[in-house]
Amino acid sequence: MTKEVLPLGTIYVSPRVIATIAYQAALQSYGVVGLAHKNFFNGVSQKLVKDPLHGVEVHYDGVEIRIDIYIIVEYGTRISAVASSVRDTVRYQVEKALGLPVACVNVHVRGLRISEVD
Amino acid sequence: MRSEKEKGQNPDRAPRAKEQVNGEVLKLLVEAGLTWLRTNQQIVNSLNVFPVPDGDTGTNMVLTMQAAHEEISNGNEKNFGKVAHAIAHGALMGARGNSGVILSQIWRGFARAVDNIETLDVPTFVKALASARDTAYKGVVRPVEGTILTVIKDVATAAQEALPEANDLLYLLEKIVKAADDSVQRTPELLPVLKEAGVVDSGGKGLFFILEGMLRYAKGMPLDAPTSTVMPIASMNLQRTMEIIEPGQDVEVVIDFRPYDKLDIETFYRDLEKMGTSIQLGEGDGIYRLHIHVSDGRQYEPIEYVKQVGIFTKVAMENLAAQMEQSEEKSGIAQLTLAPVEPGQIAAVAVAPGPGIARVFASLGAAAIVHGGQTMNPSTQEILSAFENLPTDKIVILPNNKNIIRTAEAAKELTVKKVAVIPSRSVPQGLAAIMHLSPHEDFNTVISEMEEALLQVETGEITRATRSVEIDGISVKEGEFIALHNGNLVASSSSLRDVTLELLRIAHADHFELITLFYGKDLTKQEANQIADEIRFAYPEQEIEVQDGGQPHYYFIISIE
Repeated sequence: MTKEVLPLGTIYVSPRVIATIAYQAALQSYGVVGLAHKNFFNGVSQKLVKDPLHGVEVHYDGVEIRIDIYIIVEYGTRISAVASSVRDTVRYQVEKALGLPVACVNVHVRGLRISEVD
Repeated sequence: MRSEKEKGQNPDRAPRAKEQVNGEVLKLLVEAGLTWLRTNQQIVNSLNVFPVPDGDTGTNMVLTMQAAHEEISNGNEKNFGKVAHAIAHGALMGARGNSGVILSQIWRGFARAVDNIETLDVPTFVKALASARDTAYKGVVRPVEGTILTVIKDVATAAQEALPEANDLLYLLEKIVKAADDSVQRTPELLPVLKEAGVVDSGGKGLFFILEGMLRYAKGMPLDAPTSTVMPIASMNLQRTMEIIEPGQDVEVVIDFRPYDKLDIETFYRDLEKMGTSIQLGEGDGIYRLHIHVSDGRQYEPIEYVKQVGIFTKVAMENLAAQMEQSEEKSGIAQLTLAPVEPGQIAAVAVAPGPGIARVFASLGAAAIVHGGQTMNPSTQEILSAFENLPTDKIVILPNNKNIIRTAEAAKELTVKKVAVIPSRSVPQGLAAIMHLSPHEDFNTVISEMEEALLQVETGEITRATRSVEIDGISVKEGEFIALHNGNLVASSSSLRDVTLELLRIAHADHFELITLFYGKDLTKQEANQIADEIRFAYPEQEIEVQDGGQPHYYFIISIE
């Protein structure tokens, strides 16, 4: 649970909220076709997840937020550039929504979707 | 750097064959698109508010197009399809940033449709644009409209619509450039964040410049001249033009006017280009702002000209020659004592935005200083020549600005010397890094120590908002002071004191030991000290240092460590 202590009370934000923001940000990122399940080993599952919490891990240790996100990328895009975009966009959107600093966003590319073959 | 400029300017080589275009012509067109995009790179950067407002869309698109162009620059392939595939491959390998990745997909889709095509004709061009659109849209689950995606979609639609009446490629190109322009203008209606910031989409604008560059080339128009497009008045960057004053162009004239009729931008530019240089045209609420440098004695010509097309509301004039002398006196770079370098030692090259900061870097052991910073990025060549003559082959570069890191990396590719770019994104990071410079130690050890040091310092910057905008929920009015913490906008206020204190609070300055304020050229020492005293009062435990930085634009650059 992420919390911010304010003079008039405390605001609690559940990990699901952060995961949902990250999920939306990732899906809007160019080159991302969906999120993969975090609990499968690399490459085992290419199935897209619907629940943000399955594809996003949120860690909060009382000071900073760390996010791990598991994505499937469109074949034919430059994976490093797509992943960097996801990292920047997720961080920006989460910080913008919560006003709390995000220490790091780790992007795990779990698979490729091939919709067109060159 | 290659001489794209010369090529772009040469109208004799323009593809006059309007019906069919082969691979060689495509190569020239791509070169033209890249050159024109590069000419307008800063405009594209200044529009960047989505998805992350980091002001690098123009740079990313240029780097992507540059990689595409490099892939074909040395070949003489005539087959259109093969050249298109090479471009797509280059764009893919060099794709950077969101817009760069989309751009590479556009090329990929385009190339697929022209497979095995010897020369391009009108129907194939239309088909290829549709394929470019389809591939671009496949790369994202939830396409955001009001971006470069919308622009390629509108371009493909316009091409399809123009097909029945299009006899030649030039006609079609004109149609799609027009469609791209209109589409870009509509982006704020589709994407609220653009409207909120009062800009059009940066990636879409970048794509427009690429297409327009191709058209300009086909028509034999110059590609390195000031852009003949109109930008929002708020994002006109008049400061930048100070650095490219040409001899003889001594007077700067800025005229605000309201045209009688819709302004014919092309004619307007053509007429003004006869009078002077550094022409910029801005628009806002029906008022246009013209900026031009002319030679002494001709300063009334632009005013007379403007009177023919509209009513002027304000004229401002400045004597540039006198200003230049003044700023040279003030900068005092001449007195800089740089660290001596012996063969085999590691030499540090630092980019410094102001004379005071340059002196600090020199005193900490920099062997060469390159002048540059926000909105005055040095060229690759300037960085290269700063270290090429040093008597050692081990060089570390401190770019000290996010936007200069790439330029420094490019300099690295152009030399035989061993060069490491320490990715310092701000002056405080650069200073923290140079503290760990041990010229006699092992190169790799020193690099990793310097890189580690980057993370040990917090950077604060105070500047003025160049336009009204709302970002991160912080609404800023034009002219207000704004505070950036590690590059992110965190506070705004009409009081310099308040915004500085707010920045320190957000940066948790009370957890650190030393706060160093580098005050810029727009502040006097007294003003800086007054604020420093306020800070001392608020942070009695911390040590506060005040240094004359001399940098433009930034009232304070603050290092918190």
